[in-house]
Amino acid sequence: MTERSEAETAEGLDRVLADLRALSEDIESCAVLSEDRDLLSSSHQPGVERERVAAMLAALVYLSERLARESGKGNISQLRIDAGGGHLLVVRLGDGGVLAATTGPEARVGLVLYDMRNARGEVEKALAEGSDQ
Amino acid sequence: MKKLLRRLLLLGALAGAAYAVRGYLRGRSPGQETVQLVFDDGSVRSLASNTTQGQEFTDIARKIVETGL
Repeated sequence: MTERSEAETAEGLDRVLADLRALSEDIESCAVLSEDRDLLSSSHQPGVERERVAAMLAALVYLSERLARESGKGNISQLRIDAGGGHLLVVRLGDGGVLAATTGPEARVGLVLYDMRNARGEVEKALAEGSDQ
Repeated sequence: MKKLLRRLLLLGALAGAAYAVRGYLRGRSPGQETVQLVFDDGSVRSLASNTTQGQEFTDIARKIVETGL
């Protein structure tokens, strides 16, 4: 992917995530992690914090993939964690990347996951448009 | 001595009851399932917070929720 198409992909993803947050008010933050475990879109600017979040999210994805392997299942399509102070929700994308979101403790998690699953197509489209160029 | 033991037992029972009520009011009981994984085939697996696997997930998730994505 060229530098320009990377910027266009990030811009497209930012737009999709902004729409998702506008639609689902319970979402506090959201991000897209690529198949290669790069954080393609996040509320954090490039830097230590962003890399830290990418590493933690990649670790979670690795854990869930390991669990799926051990259980003899295919891939994880959805992950939902009640972390006490809020929820972490993850929806797997078609290419192996993930769409992740955090919410507060009182969020309507089922509704947020529904909106995330609906946004998945738009995220995949934005990623495909970036890689086509 | 017997009286002291009885009092200690009563105190322990009261503390346990208070902990249970606190957990109930917070909507959480010890070992409640806090991680839910849905696989491609539609099957679901839940992990309790008091298991090693569940703890691995919740520890990382807690940090992400605190930091934001």
